[in-house]
Parts: sequence; C-alpha cells; structure tokens
Amino acid sequence: MHRDEIPPGTLYLLILKTLARSGEMHGYEIANSIQRISDDILQVEEGSLYPALQRMLIKGWVTAKWGTTAGNRRARYYQLTAAGRKQLTVEMSQFERVIGAITRVIEAV
Amino acid sequence: MDWLRELARRLRMLMHRRQFDTDLEEEMRLHLELRQQEQIEAGMTPDNAQAAARRGFGNVTSLKEKSHIAWGWGWFEQLVQDMRYGLRMLRKSPGFTAVAVLTLALGIGANTAIFNVVHATLLQPLPTRQGNRLVVIWVNNLEQSWSRIGPTGQDYLEWKEESKSFDDLFLFEHGTGTVTGLGEPEQVAGLRVTTNFGEFFGIKPALGRTFRLEEAGSRHNFAILGYGYWQRRFGSDPSVAGRGMTLNGEEYTVIGVLPADFAALFPVDVVVPFDTDWVKRVNTDLGVFGRLKPGVALGQASGEMNVIAERIATARPLRKGFGTVLVPLEAVRVEYLRPALLVLLVAVGFVLLISCANVANLMLARSVGRQREMAIRIALGAGRLRLIRQFLAESTMLALLGGTAGALLALWSTDLLNVFVPSRIPVPNAADAVTLPGIHMSGAAVAITIVISLLTGIVFGVIPALQSLRCNVNESLKEGGRGFSIGPGGHRTRSTLVIVESALAFVLVIGAGLMIKRFWHLLDVNPGFHPDHLLTLRIKLPTDAKSSEYREPRQQAATFQRFLASVEAVPGIQSAAFAEIVPLSQDDMDMGYFVVQQDPALPPGGHLAADFRDITPNYFATMDIPLIAGRSFSEQDNLDRPRVVVIDETLARRFFPKQNPIGKHLQIPDTTRPSREIVGIVGGVHDTGFDQQPRPTIYFPSLQSPDQTMSLVLRTTLPPSAVLPAIKNAIWSVDKNQPLFAVRSMDEIISGIVSAQRLAFLLLGVFAFLALALAAIGIYGVTSYLVSERTHEIGVRIALGAQRSDVSHLVLGTGARPAGIGVIGGVVAAFALTRLLSSLLFGVSATDPLTFVVVAILLTLVALTACYIPARRAMRVDPVVALRCE
Repeated sequence: MHRDEIPPGTLYLLILKTLARSGEMHGYEIANSIQRISDDILQVEEGSLYPALQRMLIKGWVTAKWGTTAGNRRARYYQLTAAGRKQLTVEMSQFERVIGAITRVIEAV
Repeated sequence: MDWLRELARRLRMLMHRRQFDTDLEEEMRLHLELRQQEQIEAGMTPDNAQAAARRGFGNVTSLKEKSHIAWGWGWFEQLVQDMRYGLRMLRKSPGFTAVAVLTLALGIGANTAIFNVVHATLLQPLPTRQGNRLVVIWVNNLEQSWSRIGPTGQDYLEWKEESKSFDDLFLFEHGTGTVTGLGEPEQVAGLRVTTNFGEFFGIKPALGRTFRLEEAGSRHNFAILGYGYWQRRFGSDPSVAGRGMTLNGEEYTVIGVLPADFAALFPVDVVVPFDTDWVKRVNTDLGVFGRLKPGVALGQASGEMNVIAERIATARPLRKGFGTVLVPLEAVRVEYLRPALLVLLVAVGFVLLISCANVANLMLARSVGRQREMAIRIALGAGRLRLIRQFLAESTMLALLGGTAGALLALWSTDLLNVFVPSRIPVPNAADAVTLPGIHMSGAAVAITIVISLLTGIVFGVIPALQSLRCNVNESLKEGGRGFSIGPGGHRTRSTLVIVESALAFVLVIGAGLMIKRFWHLLDVNPGFHPDHLLTLRIKLPTDAKSSEYREPRQQAATFQRFLASVEAVPGIQSAAFAEIVPLSQDDMDMGYFVVQQDPALPPGGHLAADFRDITPNYFATMDIPLIAGRSFSEQDNLDRPRVVVIDETLARRFFPKQNPIGKHLQIPDTTRPSREIVGIVGGVHDTGFDQQPRPTIYFPSLQSPDQTMSLVLRTTLPPSAVLPAIKNAIWSVDKNQPLFAVRSMDEIISGIVSAQRLAFLLLGVFAFLALALAAIGIYGVTSYLVSERTHEIGVRIALGAQRSDVSHLVLGTGARPAGIGVIGGVVAAFALTRLLSSLLFGVSATDPLTFVVVAILLTLVALTACYIPARRAMRVDPVVALRCE
C-alpha cells in the first residue's frame, strides 16, 4: 500500500480539524483518526505529532489534561480552545486559497 | 495580551521541566504500546510489531528534543549547563579558583567600598525641596584676600529688597545656647533663622510646626528641636510641642521637631527665630541662602548681586571693596571632598583593572592546559560561539564569586571606614566643618557591585577565550600529550598584560608616595606653640536674659577671672589661660581693621587687617608661644590702665619692616576708643591650618576687651578624663548653671585638621599596596609559567654548557622586560594623572622628582624579586631530569 507524506505546513490543520470533529483525543487517537479518514493515504510520521502538539499548547490553540483510556491506561487528552477554533478557520481559508490556486494552475489548458 | 499568556505558559513549563519530560515520555510510550498492540492483533509477532511501531513513530529521542525545544528555553538550559560545567571546572582546580576569587574580591570590594563613600557623600540629594536651586551667598573682598565671609543682617535686608533673581532669601546664624533645667547644664548647637525657615526648605516637621512668616514682626521665644536632640534629651516625647525649656536663662516654648534627615543639612539641636529688628542689628558672620527663580541661571544672579554690591559699597563706605560670591549649595557641600573622592575612584578603578589583568593571565595559563579539550570539542562540531560562551560563563561565575566576596569585604570595610572617616571635616579658614553622613552599604552599591562583576567577568574572560580559539585544531591534536604552547601570540598577550599592570601600579604608588610626602610635610610644620598635653574647652556666658548678671562686660571679664582662679587650684594643672579662640580649633573667627597711628604710608581712609585675639595674661606661657621682644600682659592691664596690645612677628614683619614696633600705637577705626600701645612681640602661630602661613595677629588683654565666649586652655600631663570632673566642679563652684562644651585635647584638634589628608593618604596607601602586590603576583605568574614551559629547553641549554647565570639572565629578562616597559609607561601616565592630585598636595609638586625616582626603583625591585623565585628554580633545573621527561 502506498502512503503519501502529508504536505508540509498542513499538520496543524489536520490536528485542529480532527480535534474539532471529535472533541477530546489523545495523541494515538489523533494519528489513527487522520489515517483512517484519509483512507490510509495520508501518513503522519506519528511521532512528529508530539512536537506539533507542544507548539500548539504554547500558542494556546489546544489544552491538555490527563485522563484514562477505555483500556484503563493513563493518557493525555487534547482539546480545542476558542483560539484553536479561530486558528482552524484561518488555516482552512489559507489552505483553500492555496489548493484553489494550485488547481487552477494544473487545470489550465 | 496574547504574548503575555503565552509567556506565562512557557514559564509554567520551565518550572515543571522534569514533570514535562516524564509526561511526554509516558505519552509517547502509550502511543508505541497501543500501536504494537494493534499490530499484534493484526497477526504480527510481538518483536516485529514493536519494530513496526517504532518505524512508524520516528526517532523518539530527537522528537523528545524537538518537543522540548519548542518551548523556547534552549538558551537557558544551555546556560545552566555551561554554568554547571564551569562550576565543576572551578571545583577541580581549587588553588586557581581561590587565587582568582581573592584577587577579584580585592578589586571589586575596593570599588564597592569607595562607591559607598561616594554614594553617602556626593550622591545624596539635599533634604529640601528644590535643593538644586539653592545657592549660598557670601561676601568677598579680594584686596583683603577674603574669598568667602558671611554678610551682615543689613546686607541681607538690602539684597532681599533689591534682588529680582530669587524667589526668596534665607538668613541664619550658627551659634550655641545654654540649656538648663534638663539635668547637667548643656551647651547645644543652635541655629537662629528668619521665620521663612520652614517655607524656604519645604520642611515637613516630624512633630508640631515651624515658624510662621508673620512671627518676624515681634520677638517670640519659640524653639524647634532637632530630631536627634529630641530623641536624646526628650526621650522622643510625642507631646513635646507646647512644652517649655530654659535656653540662655530665658523661657522658650517648643513648637515642633525637625524631620530626621534635616540633620544632613543643619546638624543642630535647637532652632530659634530672628525678628526683623534683630536682623537689622546683627553684623557677625551670618549665612545667607537664596532660592533661584525658575529659569534664572547662576551667572545671571551673580551679575545682579554684583551690581547690588557696588551700590551698597557707595552707600556704606565700610563695604568698599566688597563683592558677592554665589555658589550652589549642592556644590558647597561636596567641594572639599570631591577632589579626594575622584582620586580614590581613579585609584580603585586601577586596582580593579590590575586584578582583571591578573585573572586574565591566570585563565590564559590555564587555557593552555585546556587547548586539547578545546580542539576535541571543535573537532566534534562545537561552534566557536558556543565555546566563547562557555569561557564567558566560567569567567562570569568567577567574577560573581569574586563580587560576592568583594561585597562582603566592602560590608566589613564600611564599619572600618566609619571608624576612620571623621564625621566632621574642618574646613580651613571658614570656622566651619563639613558634616559627613554615616557610610553604609546601599542598594545602589549592591547593584553597582553586580554590574562591575559582570563587566569584569566579560573583560577578563574574552581575552583567553579569543586566544584559545585561535589555536589550530589539527596541530593541537597532532602534537599529542605534551609540549603545548600558546605560541608567540599568547606570550605577547601575557607580556602586554604585565606591562599594563606595572604601569597602573606605578601610577598608584606614585600617587601614594606623593600623599605620604605631603603628609610628612604637614606633620613637620611647627605650629608656633607646643601642642602636647594641652586640653581645651569652651565656655559661653548666657547673656540673653534681661536678668543675666553677665550682660555687663566688666562682669564677664571678672567671671572668667574667677573661673581661672578656681581651675588653677585643681591638682595636676600646670598652667591655665583663657583665649577667645584656640589655634587650629576652627571654632570661630575674629578679624578686624586697624591703622598705625601717624603712619604716613597709609592712604587716608585706608586700613590694615589682622586676626584679633583676646587672651588672659598667662596664655603665651600656657601655649608655649615664645616672647620675642618687649613684655607680655599682666593682671594690671585692665580697663583702668592704658590700653596695650601684643603683636605677632608676622604682623611686625609685614607692617613694620625695618622698624621697632614696640611703643608704636594702633588705632581701631570707627570706634572712639583710645589707641593701643604695642608692648610686645610674640612668635607667629598657625591658626587656621598647617597649610596656611601664620597670619598677622593682634593680641588684646581680655580684661581690657572682654568676651562672652572664651576657650580654656590647660597644660596638664594627666589624661583628660582624669582631670575633667575636677575642672567641671571647679567651674560649677563659681556658677552651677554654666555648661562646658567642645572639650578636646589639642591632639584631637590637630588630628581633625589633618583628617581629610590622612584619610586620602591612608586609603591611597592601601590601594597602592594592593596594586603593588597584585602586580608582583602577575609578574611572578608569567615568569614562573615561562620557566615551567621552557624547562626542557633550559635543560638542553645547560646540557650544552650554558652557565647558571646565563639561565637566570634569560628568565629575569623575560619577566622583567615587560615590567620595565610598564614602569616607563607608568612614568608618562603618572605625569599626566598626578595633576588630579594637585589640589590635595598643596606644598608638594605633583611631579616631585624624588618620589618618581624612589617609586621607579621600588617597582623595579619588586619586579626583580617576583622574577627571582622562578629564575632560581630555572637555575636548579637538572638537565638529566629535564631531558628524561621527554
């Protein structure tokens, strides 16, 4: 099965969107969710989620608190903040602008 | 505000660094284990599943680091790392650390201590409002070489009327008052002021009120207490306002207490008011302050005051030849200290530079040993900037350690300084003294110490850092275990440091040498009397009260005679006399005019000036002032007999050249008194200070010229504490309400006179000694390093037949040459810099050749001695051992 690297700069967008959709999640769930929804095509180098999550914590886009998983393990759950939600719309519009431009370029005859 | 919240989050992470790391680790572990679980469930073996999970996850360590760095504390953690490493290095070489810290502590401590003095004296603001606009106004008379004398009450009133440059003028008179009824009678320091006192200085009294302007209209016996006096005599009684007290035999009402800090301006016990009539009458040495209007410059005000002075001179002939002098109050307070403190600041700066040079040298020597370490680090990819930072962290830590030790030294030295620094420094020729505040370690001084430490750390850390980075990695690694050297560049750096050190030390020692010479000159001056075993004290008869029996001059003279008879009967007193003013005491001034009768040399209306002194007959004998011609006074020279005077030889020489003054008559102008016959000539006396030549003086018999205040001089071989109770009782047996004050031995008076010079000389001496010792250590360090580095070479030379003397020449040459160059440089620098000292040197030339030669020889000897020890070691090198080491 071939997997594609995610385009650079979109990791925040993917995490933000994933959290926006599902509320609280821990790192493993985020990674899984991204892979599953993209039909296993988008592959996050799973570990790189964690530095990204740290940066998002600093920015105040997400908050984290410790909880227990269904399997009764301790896990850190991340949740979107208001600032995170705002950031999501910013990233979305930015992404759409870029994608739109790229699409126009490659579809031009 | 977002950045603020972000900073708060970053800080929280910094606080919980360890927690953060374990959290991240747990989170990642969970991730890996869940992934592994999933793979196993999909049918993988556990081992394969683990490997797959790790592959998918990426480099755990690197990701952890990335997450850590994301919080932005990398630089801080590196700094902590550098400091930990530095501390370890310092602990590993305790000898080096101790020497470096001690050297720095001396340098930094000396700077902090002197800064404390500067802060306490020069930088404290006046305890008044608009202190920077206050000026002191004096009268001067250049013909009489009076540079600053106090104006009269009439001057004050006319200035106040006519001048437009000032918001307000304030008149005051220093004096003393007799307080009775509060235990032992006491003579207190008093101040009589115009009633704008409180308003002029913006005083917020600690208790009660100050005077009201309208109280100038008539005489009020109101008194404001000084804070210290209120504490001392009234036990800080909070209800003191309204209480009565007896001052000079009159009843006064206490209306308030001055704030504590006001003592920095006027250290007085009691303040009482002038009324307007009184101001018109007073013509003794008064003080006038003016508060400049906003926007009026000092020069402008001076110009206006001079115009007024000219107008006054035409209206009042006695004021002919007089002008005014305006000096900012802030400048007056510090002008006697500023030159000395500037010199000391330069001196401690030099000491600090020398300590820096020494520590830089030490670190340079050590960095040679660490060259291999540096080479390895560079080879492994350490950035040069990172290495410089490492060096600086190490040197800064040394400097901070040195700074801490220095601050402790300074703290301890402030106690010492408070003992040695006199609280009052007499101002020659002004019958006044500068009051010095207590010296203490201030917050500002602590801040300065930290700044100095950090700067020193950078200064002496950068040199070895740059030096060691210049090394060639390849060469260093190739050379193997031994035989490192810092190369010619390093030697040049170290020799330069020695040159600078020697030059700085030379300048300091020259300064101290000049001060020593000056001090010797001072102590060598013959004061004109015999100062040993003399005890002095002052007595002031209270005359204010209408009922006082002392209002009549004849009564005053008779009372002092009774005191004298009573004191002379005390056992152990060899001789006793009263004098209006004791030489060198700076207690008071009395100058006056006279003319020589039938002297054609003087233009009509002109007059001569001299110091006037009223004395009892036994004064010359008690003081051991030699009688040169004629006779001294006797008990018969009283008001019923012809008026007589005795003059001193200075006056005789100046105004009676080639004549015999005895039998000539002097006339005091503007009095109707009969003329006075000169009956004797005595030796000149240094009256105002050892710096000044004896001034023309006329002595009057006190029976013919009574005074209210007199000083008692006693010659006794007993210690003052042994005779004082008996003296007090002798005075009190005549008048039980009569206080004695200003009790001092002549030794104390003289030590006060020379205290400013002694202090400058002592401190400069200490700093010069420090500089010399540090320079010697520096030269020794460089030379002995050279010897240890060249042991092998020396061994070869000796094996090849070099004589021991050749070897010692070689070593002495390498160590002493930079020191010699330094001395030459020091001579040049000293020629330029000792001019700073000239205001402290008086009689001694700032380029005194003898001092320069002696100090040059001294420094050369010290340098040679410092080289001699390593040279001897070099001579003892055993060629066999040296070569076997190879």
